[in-house]
Amino acid sequence: MIQLKNIFKWINTGSNRVFILKDINLEIGEGDFVSIMGPSGSGKSTLLNIIGMLDEASEGQYLFNDTDVFSLKEKQRSQLYKENIGFVFQAYHLIDELTVYENIETPLLYHNIKQSERQAMVADILDRFNIVGKKDLFPSQLSGGQQQLVGIARAIVTKPKLLLADEPTGNLNSSQGEEIMELFRKLNEENGTTIIQVTHSEKNAAYGKRIIELLDGRVENK
Amino acid sequence: MIQNYITIAWRNLLKNKAFSVINITGLAIGLSCFILIALYVADELSYDKHFKNGADIYRVNSDILFSGNESRLAVCSDPMGETLKKDYPQVLEYTRIYASSGSKLVKKGTDYITENNVCHADSTFFKLFSLPLLSGDPVTSLSEPNTVVISASTAKKYFNTTDAIGKYIEADKTPYKVTAVMKDIPLNTHFQFDMIFSMKNVNYQMGNFLSHNFHTYVQLKSGVDPVEFEKNFVQVIDKYILPQAGQFMNIKSMDEFKRAGNNLSYSLIPLIDIHLKSDRFPELSTNGSIQFVYIFSAVALFILLIACINFMNLSTARSANRSKEVGIRKVLGSNRSSLIKQFLSESVIMVIISLVIAIILTVLILPYFNTVAAKQLSSSSIGKGYVLAILLALPIVVGVLAGIYPAFFLSRFQPLAVLKGNQNSRFKKSWLRNGLVVFQFSISIILIIGTLVIYQQLNYIQTKKLGFTKEQVLLVSGIGGLNENAGAFKNEILQLPGVSSATITSFLPVSFSSRSDNTFSTEAVMTPKNSLNMQTWDIDYDYINTLGMQMAKGRNFNRDFGTDSSAMLINEATAAILGFKDPIGKKIYTRNNLNSGDLTPTAYTIVGVVKNFHFESLREQIGPVCMRLGRGGWIGCFKVNTQDIPGLIKQVEHKWKTMAPSLAFSYRFLDESFDNMYRSEQRMGSIAFSFSLLAILIACLGLFGLATYMAEQRIKEIGIRKVLGATVTNITTMLSKDFLILILIATLIAFPLSWWAMNNWLQGFAYRIDIEWWVFIVSGILAIAIALITVSVQAIKASLTNPVKSLRTE
Repeated sequence: MIQLKNIFKWINTGSNRVFILKDINLEIGEGDFVSIMGPSGSGKSTLLNIIGMLDEASEGQYLFNDTDVFSLKEKQRSQLYKENIGFVFQAYHLIDELTVYENIETPLLYHNIKQSERQAMVADILDRFNIVGKKDLFPSQLSGGQQQLVGIARAIVTKPKLLLADEPTGNLNSSQGEEIMELFRKLNEENGTTIIQVTHSEKNAAYGKRIIELLDGRVENK
Repeated sequence: MIQNYITIAWRNLLKNKAFSVINITGLAIGLSCFILIALYVADELSYDKHFKNGADIYRVNSDILFSGNESRLAVCSDPMGETLKKDYPQVLEYTRIYASSGSKLVKKGTDYITENNVCHADSTFFKLFSLPLLSGDPVTSLSEPNTVVISASTAKKYFNTTDAIGKYIEADKTPYKVTAVMKDIPLNTHFQFDMIFSMKNVNYQMGNFLSHNFHTYVQLKSGVDPVEFEKNFVQVIDKYILPQAGQFMNIKSMDEFKRAGNNLSYSLIPLIDIHLKSDRFPELSTNGSIQFVYIFSAVALFILLIACINFMNLSTARSANRSKEVGIRKVLGSNRSSLIKQFLSESVIMVIISLVIAIILTVLILPYFNTVAAKQLSSSSIGKGYVLAILLALPIVVGVLAGIYPAFFLSRFQPLAVLKGNQNSRFKKSWLRNGLVVFQFSISIILIIGTLVIYQQLNYIQTKKLGFTKEQVLLVSGIGGLNENAGAFKNEILQLPGVSSATITSFLPVSFSSRSDNTFSTEAVMTPKNSLNMQTWDIDYDYINTLGMQMAKGRNFNRDFGTDSSAMLINEATAAILGFKDPIGKKIYTRNNLNSGDLTPTAYTIVGVVKNFHFESLREQIGPVCMRLGRGGWIGCFKVNTQDIPGLIKQVEHKWKTMAPSLAFSYRFLDESFDNMYRSEQRMGSIAFSFSLLAILIACLGLFGLATYMAEQRIKEIGIRKVLGATVTNITTMLSKDFLILILIATLIAFPLSWWAMNNWLQGFAYRIDIEWWVFIVSGILAIAIALITVSVQAIKASLTNPVKSLRTE
């Protein structure tokens, strides 16, 4: 599904070139559940953003389902992104002005899904996540764990093939974190959603089928 | 999708109340100015468009340059219409209006009422002007003498019914039979008549090509080019006018006439252009001005633009608050175009809300606006025609105009950057935003300067030495109706305490009073070189004293000189044109009556020169006037000298009622009539004043919003600075400085522009002020002061905040 070949990422500060990623070669198949680990500054989030098409590499090749992502035009790339990828953030990033229901509905609007279908899809996911009672609340009225549940619900409501999560449990306590991880495992096993998560926690990383360790922009072992 | 946009737009409105209030207030005021002006302009542009053949109808204008005296007339000679129709097949029909006889005294029961909106017209009047008749025949109604067509409301006034055909109206002691009743003439017509009398009753020696007294309209065949047709006037002059002129003046050809520095030409003005583009003498009613239409339209657009700029500036200044949302939406799969659509629909919604408020405001303000602009616009016309179309288009146009920049600006954010970092959460300096603030304030300052200059010029007119005294002169009109008792009435009033002198005349040094011109020559034989056309006024012995005019040379008329019936007073302008070193005792000649064939000249001896006085508006140079003794004036003028004006008027009215119980008593003061001449300037002054007030108000609203936002954004910085020891003054100065620089730049841009614009406007006055430097200083200081107050309120508030509070939030 994902093939990264010789990915480099650097930024120029003055005359210095600071490397964030160095020669990353990675292959992730459909249905995989990968945890990316590493100390702060090792390039985890950058790697995730490149995979998530939010960022571009300075050098190298990225094939997504055999499509060369870097050679795509902006429009085609966002189309590819829209159809395949869902994102979960550490800071949840819900839209403060919208209710739980409307937050989950928003990506469906961008997928041009009909009203009746949207209602069914949102209702279904609210039910699955056990947050039907919260659907008319605003993000500020929810706890962190609940907000992240909404964040994940929003990320998967469009049924993406790939779910990317950047420290999804970083702002949560351990029991909330566990709940989220259980949810990820279920998504991976029951729906076959490919998941890539970035995490600091060994325990959470263990939910993955595979752990990738990054250190100073290099993959340590596979 | 659109529902989602509306939801989020609505919640954003509620969440940022200050921002919404500022934007909606500004936009509502701007839009309501815009609607008012749209109503005004639509009305001005609609004049005379209701006539069916209006596009093919033209009025014949005359331009006469004779012995240095230039006349631009809206009238031409009585045989012109007939001649054009007879000689040129392109002319389908013509009609003439004769309004020079002024008002008529009309009998109602036992009373007499002065009717001002009256005229005589040819029977073809209704053929050209498709005014709907309630009853009667448009073709024959004016073809007989002693017939009159009256308007519906006049019929109700005199007969309590519109069914008035066959009834009689007595006007100036002559009975007229009502042959038709027309609907009241629409207000957007360049003439307003309540009574149209038959042309056959005009007491005038017809057939004279040299006297210009008839408003003449021709209908050309459709497709005839009026400019091409105007070339025919040269032929008309050669064939008809020169032979007649040759009878009493030694002219053989037009060339000779022109070589003497004279000129005569005729032109056509389209009917639909008369209201806005004609400024001639005498117009049938006060015309509008295309200049005002342009100025008002520009002002409306600018005010709307200022309000739009508030929206742009506040939206982009607040971008940090929206950037997170933009980032999330992009991550959720939104592309840029749908974000742009979202932001645009937000601004459109904002405009729709403002528009609703603006329409309510407009309906409330309209009566006031009507008074100021002297219009009778009705709020029902908001829902009609152009105005409705404009209103429907406004939300889209203004919404997009105001929203396009914020939409592109906000939708440009990269999700990664805004979701991760803080780089967009600072109030960033933006050249565009600064430029827009400068633009807003430049316009506001230009409007302030414009208003000041207009007021100064009006004040100059009001206080200028006019050459006569306009204060404390009571005018009693209709005194001619007393006939031989007029003199007795004058003497009775002179007996009253507080009345110092009195005169009876029709000629006053304000417009809207009678004018009469005549041709004079310095030798008994008149040639183009020795003759002069000038105002010829009939006055009495007390005229000069009562109106406070001064003699420059010679003497006033005097009862002790038996020969003063052939004496004449001239003004300094006449003396200068005639070129007399010492005019006293010199003779000038005129011909009394050309048509009766009596070509013997009448001689007048100049006995005195009156100091120049303004008898037309100050827009005109002072022209030549001569005055001779005469009778039969229509207006009694009384110089009064008393504190108790109402008491005096009561006494005068009492005398009037005893001497002329059936005549209506009507009076006014000379200075009021004088002010009437400058109504349109005064109107422009008040309107400009209101608009510049609004413009600066809206601009300040925007500045207030920006300052509030800036203070909010820099709250942490302010906290740190205070911890480091900054005083309230330090911080207020820091926050206000940036804005002050912008306002200073705006003043520098506004000064030359407003100087240029107002100088242009002043060129329209022959007598005008110089624009003084302090006007600029005052308006600059005013703008800076207003802006400083606006900004520093926020700055002081921010600098008084306890730093512990603001720093803790991190």
